[in-house]
Amino acid sequence: MSAAAESRKPGRLALMIDLERCTGCKSCEAACKQEHRLGPGEYRNKVVWASGLEEAGLAFLTLTCQHCERPACLRACPVNPKAIEKDPVTGVVSVVESRCTGCGECVMACPYSAMGYDPREHHAVKCDLCTDRRAQGQTTACASVCPTSAIRFGARDELLGEAAREGRAPLDLDHFLLGPATIYLERLPAQGEPGAATVPSRAAGSSRPAFMDAAASQAVVVESKPAFPYGLPRADATADRVVPGGCNICFNCCTANFHFKGDDLVRITGNEDDPLLQGRVCPKSQLTLQLYHNEHRLRHPLKRAGARGENRFERISWDQALDEIAEKLKRVREAYGPEALAMFIGTRTGTLDNLGYTRLFAQLWGTPNKEGTDPFCASSKSVAYELTQGRIGSGNSYTPGDIGSARLFVYFGDNQAETRPVYFGMVNDWRLRSGAKMVVVDPRLSATAAKADRWLAIRPGTDMALGLALCQHILARNLHDRKFCGDWTLGFQEWRDFILARGYTPEWAEPVTGIAAAEIRRLAEEIAAADGCVIFGSRGINQHTNGTQTNRVLMFLAAITGNWGRRGGAYFNMTAGTPIAPNAPEHRRPKINRQKVRRSPAGWTDAMLHGKPYPLRALIACNNPLAQWPGQAAVRAAFESLDLMVHIELFANETSAYADYVLPAATGIEKGEIGRSNDDRRIVWIDKMIAPPGEAKADGWIWIELGKRFGFDDVLQERYKDTQVFWDEVCIGSELLRGCTQKRLHSVPWRWVRHPVASEDAPEIETLYLEGTTAPGVPAGHRFPTPSGKLEFWTTELEGKFRTIGLSALPEFYSEREQLVDLPYLELEHSDADAGVISPFCRPDTGTSRARIVAGSGDAPGARLRAQGYDTELLTGRPSAAHFHSWTHYFWQSQEMWPDLFCQIHPDKAARLGIADGERVRVETAHGAIEAVAWLHAGIRPSAVFVPIGWGERQPFHPWRSVNFLTDKTQRDPVSDQTNLKVLLCRVARAD
Amino acid sequence: MQRQDFSDTKLLRLMAAAALAIAAWFVARQWLPEPWRMPGSPALYLAGVAGAALLLVPAAFALAKRGGSSRDPVGWFNAHIVCSSLGAVLIAVHSAGYLRRAPALLLLAILALAALGVWARVRGSRRMAATFASKAPAFAVPDPATRERLKAVISAKRRLLADLDPQAQEGTFSVTLAHWLRAPRLAAAYHRLAREEAAMLGTRRAAGLQQGWWRPVHMALAWIFVAGVAVHVVTVTFFAGYVADGGPINWWHLAAW
Repeated sequence: MSAAAESRKPGRLALMIDLERCTGCKSCEAACKQEHRLGPGEYRNKVVWASGLEEAGLAFLTLTCQHCERPACLRACPVNPKAIEKDPVTGVVSVVESRCTGCGECVMACPYSAMGYDPREHHAVKCDLCTDRRAQGQTTACASVCPTSAIRFGARDELLGEAAREGRAPLDLDHFLLGPATIYLERLPAQGEPGAATVPSRAAGSSRPAFMDAAASQAVVVESKPAFPYGLPRADATADRVVPGGCNICFNCCTANFHFKGDDLVRITGNEDDPLLQGRVCPKSQLTLQLYHNEHRLRHPLKRAGARGENRFERISWDQALDEIAEKLKRVREAYGPEALAMFIGTRTGTLDNLGYTRLFAQLWGTPNKEGTDPFCASSKSVAYELTQGRIGSGNSYTPGDIGSARLFVYFGDNQAETRPVYFGMVNDWRLRSGAKMVVVDPRLSATAAKADRWLAIRPGTDMALGLALCQHILARNLHDRKFCGDWTLGFQEWRDFILARGYTPEWAEPVTGIAAAEIRRLAEEIAAADGCVIFGSRGINQHTNGTQTNRVLMFLAAITGNWGRRGGAYFNMTAGTPIAPNAPEHRRPKINRQKVRRSPAGWTDAMLHGKPYPLRALIACNNPLAQWPGQAAVRAAFESLDLMVHIELFANETSAYADYVLPAATGIEKGEIGRSNDDRRIVWIDKMIAPPGEAKADGWIWIELGKRFGFDDVLQERYKDTQVFWDEVCIGSELLRGCTQKRLHSVPWRWVRHPVASEDAPEIETLYLEGTTAPGVPAGHRFPTPSGKLEFWTTELEGKFRTIGLSALPEFYSEREQLVDLPYLELEHSDADAGVISPFCRPDTGTSRARIVAGSGDAPGARLRAQGYDTELLTGRPSAAHFHSWTHYFWQSQEMWPDLFCQIHPDKAARLGIADGERVRVETAHGAIEAVAWLHAGIRPSAVFVPIGWGERQPFHPWRSVNFLTDKTQRDPVSDQTNLKVLLCRVARAD
Repeated sequence: MQRQDFSDTKLLRLMAAAALAIAAWFVARQWLPEPWRMPGSPALYLAGVAGAALLLVPAAFALAKRGGSSRDPVGWFNAHIVCSSLGAVLIAVHSAGYLRRAPALLLLAILALAALGVWARVRGSRRMAATFASKAPAFAVPDPATRERLKAVISAKRRLLADLDPQAQEGTFSVTLAHWLRAPRLAAAYHRLAREEAAMLGTRRAAGLQQGWWRPVHMALAWIFVAGVAVHVVTVTFFAGYVADGGPINWWHLAAW
């Protein structure tokens, strides 16, 4: 029978991989390694990335066995009978491990390089389309988790039929007449038109980034010992019970099933019972298996035994640690007052800790200087939402009837495909089914942009100008939704007059943004015309000194086009926030006599170093500020000067090395908590399922025990160590959360409830703020939770607030101080050492600086830096889906997927600098320097480089200096205290 | 059947033990009585015979795994490691330090085989694993010319197979020992076509020199070694006088030419 005839045999099984849907997240790789317990270096599938070198492009290829009709691997096997078999009915080609002598001839023979090899046990390994799962009627592991539904499994004929019905064509990959069964659906043609940067279906001259496969970097991982349960026989890792829960790492809040054999966690999968996510799950959630079985976890309280930064510690007991910390805190309070204690509560520590336990501790202690990561990530959007809508977050949901029904998706500075891959997978799936369009505005062609119809490579820090021009064009052409503007906005007229009077036209915006005026007009008209447009914004918008104003402009853009309070229309800037805000009884809260130094912890370093505006002498950090805070050199100096520094963490990192005491923390299923603040307003409950390693303790336990030393146990009660009790009794007091009880959360097998829910039997609301409804928790008739019940663009009260800090509520354009062209920028009147003015945008009383907008000129800081040779825009941001800040850098498989710190650079620029792909480069700003490995990528502005966050100097696999050695703590938005992390001038050279 | 892997640790320990044993023998032999320093003495002759017998196990492994009757090829593989290591020690003992004579080349071949084997197992296996997904260009647009040439080779294979093994499917067939014994000419012709097809796929070339060729070199050395042992056995058995070179002939032989 010919190969072609064989390939049409009924019953032949196959995977169908849709290249249009795949975003390269590598969730399938994580699932495969879990399912088959494959260790480092051992693969049955692998996702390959390729960057365009001649034109902008990013392609992903999930490489797996082709289950050929004429398998070259099988024929090459010298063993008789063969150690590789082909099932005559299903066509599945599999390895008989007991007969494999490990000669590797099959590995050599496969022209698709889809035959894996176990370097520890010395035998071939390959995809067998999950024989064991199929026997139980399940789909393959890779298909079960794929966040984007890019992988489908089934009978080959049926899959081909599905593709044909969807109008999709399979690629012809049968170079070698082997009759491959795996189907790859080709990418859709790009929506290219002259004048717009387009996304090609295949990048010309594409190349795999050298750093991903570099032998030396991979060797570090391959030589590491894979932790339980990797490498175990199937029987030893087969679960006997499954507990539903969720992932506690990122904002996607994937629901997950935790599989146990006895008391051992053996596997983490998506929760297929979840009606929303349906088992889709990103790689991080699965890789947390390596969080719970990890040799690098902190296991005992430690006390510093050497100099700060020396990283020498002695093991002590919990009692000794807490007694000594309490004693030192008392001394700090006596000498400097309670405000001298600063608390930095990162998101690693969990939402209950961040918004619950530590909030109560700070109130009982009497310090206003408690903050999380918001001022580094999202405080600008939070303030903008509060000012405009009266409450943080979009009221829309990731459902087919809501976001799924939009006709246009516009992403501003939001790389959703890599930061919330499951949500992006849903959006991309909906738009492919409905024919909706997608436009991405980003200085680099990210995985999100690679899927879009159009990519607009904007100059970083100028999204506000683009937003203003889009609004101007819509208003000038009367394309706005007049009824919505008239009925549901306040200050529209003043704002409209301002926009038109200032001349923020597309022609004005063209040289500012680098986007052609015609494209701006086109986008404006598309947004205005779409029957539902969702405008996404994220860190690319937030992390700027103009973050609040840019967010407001984009909110106004959504509002004037009627894309607010409707299904399929929204301004969506990531998380909705979780409305937990417990308070200690008034009489138990000491009066706070001094204002919070600054909202941003980056603004605390002068108080630590110089005692100005008043001394901060003790810090309890629950995250990794020595990688995360901008301006690392100053942060290190500040931490060295402290009287007391306590670090509560999972892994020893840079911050631990500077701490006086390191306290080992628990996380996720070791303590019981909710997931992170979520895009979709879902509260995902995670039960406590296992004990923490060694003597590690839940953060709540630590705060309660420390609180006992100060007599706080009447509020921070012993029984609140049980997070379920703490949740029901302390966290859900507000009308928005009252119905989200443990009983309700446990009543559904997917363990989530979408807030707000005022009572246990109140229905979840898919879309908030619809016309004719009243927003939850506000007076009747108030459609939006603002004082006026309308979206507030401009009011005299708002104007007054902005005037307090020297700005106007009418958003006048300005950009960043460090730009390659002269643009207006912000000059702060006060340094962090000054008390400044009390911010009208923050609670409690918080110091901030007055500011003024300065026109760009030859004397401006940017021009001076350019004269010194700083000729490149530095962009920072999240790396791909397998990483999240520093904690995933302790997982061997995250490091196998994304090993080294990289620097994305345009091939033209690299050629000018003599830099080859994979070479070490030095990136230097006026604030510091780091090294990274070059990744040549034509999908980035030729004038820019991109370096991701998350790497640190003390990480076990691939240590690199944090990108925050390059950033500057003084470039902050006076409204929200958000730091600019998205554009700084730098110079790049080959490292010596 | 549970697969009994011979781990890197075990292999390295075995190799270290063998190397130590050989080194210890070479150091100690100067203090031993004369018969323990003569390769042809009865004791060392027996060591040579035993060593050669053990070193034939790898050859037997090569035949067993291709012969179609082995139930446990992995067991045979492990036996090939253990027996060749022990055999190497005995052959070193048998050599009695006579390293400037022609038979010492066999000792050299054993060392090369061992070194290559250890490299392949400990280092080469990592390279093997890293091969996965290294050929993404295979997913580019197919070359019609290559396909036409392949089509011709596959057709020729199918025609030949009708005579060589009518029940077999070309797509899953490769020549076995039985075919070589039953129809050597057809088997050779088919094997040639299979090699031609493999060359068009270019996979061995793509794997690089070390990974692509360690095994052919290992096998070639092994067969050279086996041939060398055969020559040595024939020489000492039938040309004992020539071997003794005027000295006493203490070993079993059939002729003393």
